[in-house]
Amino acid sequence: MADLLTAVGVRKEFGGLVAVNDVDFTIPERTIVSLIGPNGAGKTTFFNMLTGVYKPTAGQIVFDGHDVTGKPPHAITQRGIGRTFQNIRLFQSMTSLENVLVGMHSRLKGGVLRAVIKPPSLKREEIAAREKAHDLLEFCGLSGRDDEYARNLAYGDQRRLEVARALGTEPKLLLLDEPTAGMNPQETAEFTAFVGKLREEEGLTVLMIEHDMRVVMGISERVTVLDYGEKISEGTPQEVQRDERVIEAYLGTAAVS
Amino acid sequence: MAPGIQAVRDSTPALKRQTMPRAKRAAIVGIPAFFVLAVTGSASLGLIVAALIFGSLYIPAWNTLPLGKWIVPLGVILLAVLYPVYQPNLFDVVVFGNFPSVDTGVTMMIFIMMALGLNIVVGYAGLLDLGYVAFYAMGAYTVAWFASQHFSNVNVHVGGVGVAPNTPGFHISIWLVVIIAGVFATLAGILIGFPTLRLRGDYLAIVTLGFGEIMPQIANNGDNLFGRNITNGPQGINPIDPPGFGNTLHNTVGLPADYLSSTNSTRLFYWTALFLVLVTVFCTVRLRDSRLGRAWIAIREDETAAAAMGVPLMRTKTWAYAAGAFFGGVAGAYYGSFKGGTFPGDFYFNISIFILCMVILGGMGNVWGVIVGAAFLSYLNQEGLANIGAWMNANGVSDFVFRKQIDVPLYTSGIFGVILVLTMLFRPEGLIPSSRRKAEFHEGVHDEPLYDVTHE
Amino acid sequence: MASEQARIRVARPGYRPDVLSIIGLLFVAAVGLWLLINFIKAPADFYNLFLIGLTNGCVYGLVALGYSLVYGILELINFAHGDVFMLGGMLVATMTTDWALANKSGMVLWLFILLMLLIAMAFCATINTTIEIVAYRRLRNAPRLAPLITAIGMSFILQNIGLVWKGARPTSVPDILPHGAVFTIAGVPYTWNRFIVLLFTIPVLLALMWLVQRTRHGKAMRATAQDREAAAMMGISVNRTISFTFFLAGSLAGSAALLYALYITNIRYTEGFRVGLIAFTAAVLGGIGNLPGAVLGGLVIGFVESFNNGLGWHAPGSDWTQSIIFAILILILVFRPEGLLGERTPEGV
Repeated sequence: MADLLTAVGVRKEFGGLVAVNDVDFTIPERTIVSLIGPNGAGKTTFFNMLTGVYKPTAGQIVFDGHDVTGKPPHAITQRGIGRTFQNIRLFQSMTSLENVLVGMHSRLKGGVLRAVIKPPSLKREEIAAREKAHDLLEFCGLSGRDDEYARNLAYGDQRRLEVARALGTEPKLLLLDEPTAGMNPQETAEFTAFVGKLREEEGLTVLMIEHDMRVVMGISERVTVLDYGEKISEGTPQEVQRDERVIEAYLGTAAVS
Repeated sequence: MAPGIQAVRDSTPALKRQTMPRAKRAAIVGIPAFFVLAVTGSASLGLIVAALIFGSLYIPAWNTLPLGKWIVPLGVILLAVLYPVYQPNLFDVVVFGNFPSVDTGVTMMIFIMMALGLNIVVGYAGLLDLGYVAFYAMGAYTVAWFASQHFSNVNVHVGGVGVAPNTPGFHISIWLVVIIAGVFATLAGILIGFPTLRLRGDYLAIVTLGFGEIMPQIANNGDNLFGRNITNGPQGINPIDPPGFGNTLHNTVGLPADYLSSTNSTRLFYWTALFLVLVTVFCTVRLRDSRLGRAWIAIREDETAAAAMGVPLMRTKTWAYAAGAFFGGVAGAYYGSFKGGTFPGDFYFNISIFILCMVILGGMGNVWGVIVGAAFLSYLNQEGLANIGAWMNANGVSDFVFRKQIDVPLYTSGIFGVILVLTMLFRPEGLIPSSRRKAEFHEGVHDEPLYDVTHE
Repeated sequence: MASEQARIRVARPGYRPDVLSIIGLLFVAAVGLWLLINFIKAPADFYNLFLIGLTNGCVYGLVALGYSLVYGILELINFAHGDVFMLGGMLVATMTTDWALANKSGMVLWLFILLMLLIAMAFCATINTTIEIVAYRRLRNAPRLAPLITAIGMSFILQNIGLVWKGARPTSVPDILPHGAVFTIAGVPYTWNRFIVLLFTIPVLLALMWLVQRTRHGKAMRATAQDREAAAMMGISVNRTISFTFFLAGSLAGSAALLYALYITNIRYTEGFRVGLIAFTAAVLGGIGNLPGAVLGGLVIGFVESFNNGLGWHAPGSDWTQSIIFAILILILVFRPEGLLGERTPEGV
């Protein structure tokens, strides 16, 4: 199985603080990988480098055969990396459908002139786009909510909308940043099944930052552990669970002995 | 939600549209009734009250009729088109005096155009542009270059009207020049936008303010720019050719050959300006409902998320800037032709703030709101304040409140300032808000510019 | 395995100048050369212009300090700041004329000047603080556009007040400062009226820095500037701190207004806007939020202005001064937004 994403020696410094320290990371195609670690370990920083929000201080990131190190966020999204945010960042004054349509921005082609003239080809494109967005909302469990403003949705629905919007970018790799935060066990189980569905039906590769071990153990094929910006363990969920360094990172040295 | 209720909701979408608030209905009927009664000279208070009551009670909600949603806009357009016809018959309103003259109407149309253009930049994309006057100036000087005797060493006539065929200078048809002016302004917008649009909001504001400041300077000193006379300095460039359709069309179809030599020249200017406004509204609405419009709103709300969704920030912001600039340029060019001259003194920086005021008071991002705001404030600026002042002085109000006669237009900038402050404090979504904006202001947004997020 | 595929890019520590820095340095060198040539050609003129630039620069620096303080704590460009300065200047003009200070001299004159300074400072401080309470406080959590627009509105209102108070034409201020020379170089005297400005600015800057770095108030200001919520949780009254900052900024504007009015000897209702724009450029040039930077920026702009207006050999001339200053603003914001003395601060997502 080819590697979809390869990150080598990725490093991020903020002034004197090293947030991510020479991390190597690969994600094979069609796998579900989890990135875990205590708070402040650098997981979101790493995510942000993958998506172009931060420029790595050093290192290289190759996605789908293209070097995307330091490229701007929209270019990386165009290449095929989509993401959700840890603290929900939906476009509150837009409806669910419109949120997903924005996600589809890089896959549509209407420009200024065509927008004003509105030729039949543009009308067809818009109708097709709206249908696709509607389908995505249904796929994510948001049927009937097309015209609800995002700010009026329930918390769980907002999280689903974030995923739907990210799916609008037609990603090959989907980055989920703490997707089950604030969910109860039933919602978490549903979401875990949903991630599995993404991989099976859509052929997506998924990278998750997760704190909920049920999700991590339940669905990931590989787990990588960061602590203080460094990779301290990597492997199957079972291997990582038994790794001493991981236990130490989460529970302290006393727990190991 | 109980299944029964859900079923009812799903099966009656029309229910939503039937109930138009009574006040809205009354107003929509009452105001035109007002005018009709005024025109026919029978505007008595009793008849007007009757019309309002009738409107609030008996008018069906026309939204549900086929093409129903066009009734109000068409009605307004009709009122606007016929305005020069019934304006002389209109009565005086208390305090405000007479209704604006058709001449003022042209100026109002120009400002409406510019406000709609600025609305794209500020209202849709959320970029605070304080130097919009630069695009207006660009347009005004474009028409001054291509429809006057300024470049007297050439002799190019392409559809120019109102001048003898051997007059020196560029004399291109105003209809073409207006488009050229829009394009030039767009280019200026792209040029200005390139270094500045990557800056965060408050820096962008101050930089655009600077551009608005130095524009009059360049215009004033432009008679000796590296040895060339580009703007003719403080005296400006005049006369500028009027619009027109030329002798052939005049003789065959009866269209005016050139506006200045026609009997109804002010009306002609007014109707053309109205047409330009309608075109602007059309383009603005089309842009708003397009992929680009969605991208603008996304950027305004949350740049970082928008970028993560594949929206190219710089390019999209530049498009907003360029589109706004285009309409500013067209407005400036037409205005130059209307007044017959372009002078640096027209581009004082305050104009940018006036237009901003119109967009904000009217309702940022809402086309109707911006039109109302622009019409009202430009009217105040041109005639309204003077009329109010005259009324206050003549009726003892000034003496009572201020102990002397006052010159209200002197307080124009202060009044606009107060409007800005009060609007921002108490109704930031404007008089006629777009449903989107209301929540933004009262609940807050993710305002952090991507620039701040990414810079180390 | 992974290391075989990669071409690793590692940031090299140590100074690695990029193209832009080189161009910038070349440009500054060229300007330096131009100044040198002018100096050699007409040293007396040069020196005179230097003194003018120094004096004006100090005034600009004082106003720039006000912008820097407010921006540092609220991230708001207080557009009205320059107009507060202008109103202070008008007050000074009124006081100087009404109290017939032109007829006084010696100790009495200086006492009056001191009195005017205190009144001007209090006046401007009060206006500034009132503006904050009335216009900006409610909008602290609103989208960024909102307080900016309000600030513009306030600027307009204050300008109108100035217009109505003193009229459209410049108001002249009686020239009461002594013109005797403190010392003379190359036949050009450094007159007292210029020296007073410098004499005032330096202690004010030092006192302000001491206030911000060493006192509890200053610490509260710095804390509020860094993280408003955390500061509130530490028991700092955010409202009081912000009001205090505005009060301070206003006093600075008032003192600058006194110096300006007495030195330039006239004031016009549009001066606030002009000086405001210059002072803000100075604050950005020096590094917004950085106090010595604000004064440094003010001096640089003061020199740019006076040399541009006065030098004989290939100077663009006074017509272009505003455009040049504005060009400086753009260049700084685009290429070095942290200014000369500022630091780039990392932000998180």
